[in-house]
Amino acid sequence: MLATILAATSGDVTKAGKAVGLALGVGLGAAGAGVGIGLIFASMIQAVARQPELRGELTGIQWLGFALTEAVVFYGLLGSILAFVLV
Amino acid sequence: MRRVLFTISLLALALPGQAFARGDFDPTQEFEQHEWVPIHIGPLDLSITKAVVYLMLGSVLTMAFGIVFMRWRLKVEPDTRQTFGEQIYEVAETQIAEQGLPSKAIGRWFPYVASLFLFILVINLIGFIPLPITGETWHHIPVFGIYAATSSLSVTLALAALTFVFTHVEGIRWNGPTRYFKSWIPDAPKPLLALIVPLEILGQIMRLISLSVRLFANMLAGHILILTFIGLMFILETVILAPLVIPVATAFYIFEVVIVVGIQAFIFATLSAIYIGSAIEPQH
Repeated sequence: MLATILAATSGDVTKAGKAVGLALGVGLGAAGAGVGIGLIFASMIQAVARQPELRGELTGIQWLGFALTEAVVFYGLLGSILAFVLV
Repeated sequence: MRRVLFTISLLALALPGQAFARGDFDPTQEFEQHEWVPIHIGPLDLSITKAVVYLMLGSVLTMAFGIVFMRWRLKVEPDTRQTFGEQIYEVAETQIAEQGLPSKAIGRWFPYVASLFLFILVINLIGFIPLPITGETWHHIPVFGIYAATSSLSVTLALAALTFVFTHVEGIRWNGPTRYFKSWIPDAPKPLLALIVPLEILGQIMRLISLSVRLFANMLAGHILILTFIGLMFILETVILAPLVIPVATAFYIFEVVIVVGIQAFIFATLSAIYIGSAIEPQH
């Protein structure tokens, strides 16, 4: 089945595979980071709702966590770009 | 007034009609480095490229920023300018330096951490101002473009390498080599140590990678995002997309300028402070 499809495909299959790899890498990375960032802001809302007086101290920690989590997408992006360019 | 601005921006969009004919727009071309002033000393390539020009501009602006807002004509009753400078100084002191550095090392390392913060902030910010230093011309008029020096891995890796070297130098200076390297070995059962110690050493090197890649990829992705959305018009060779593409690109632009630029500078400086602080006062 797969062999027939592949045989019928015209054009550069390697390039298509690379493009799929790039998109999947970034997309999955973004999914993970999305969950993480959501958790951070959810906890922040809860924390401030429980103890509003701690808001100032918590904001710094929140942004630190946000940036650390967000960077995960970019590791995925970098790995994908490496796969796209090098392979 | 608003209507005039709107008309001017519409005209500005309609004018470069020739540019629209270019169907081979590629956002990655914006990040290529061309040697403007080639300087080669042996195997070293010290040529002046776009990133170098942006770095020079950034350094000058950072120094001017510090002098104008934090040094020049300080009064007991601060005006708006001085208040702004004091606020930035306070963020650098309470949020960045005191988060990571122990109080015995703050006098020595606060200047480094604060200048990292200011320098990265300024470089990131001028990366989002269209400047006529793209190296391209359109009918002898320099083309305006956005480019951040921090979207080059060499720049961020150099900054991360500074922190990496300072971390270990300070760790050895305060604790002595034996105690410092012993602090890398955690309390764990003996058989597990063979597994944990290589991971700890790998973790120290991964810090270098994560610190540099975080800033680099953030700025690169931000610029690519904006350029790709604007570039859709050029790739598909149609102006019809403009009402869709320009608001999206503007939204990303505002997100980058308001949130990402400041956060990344803050994170880089905070993590540097935390790394240096944790080397000066190891856990055990």
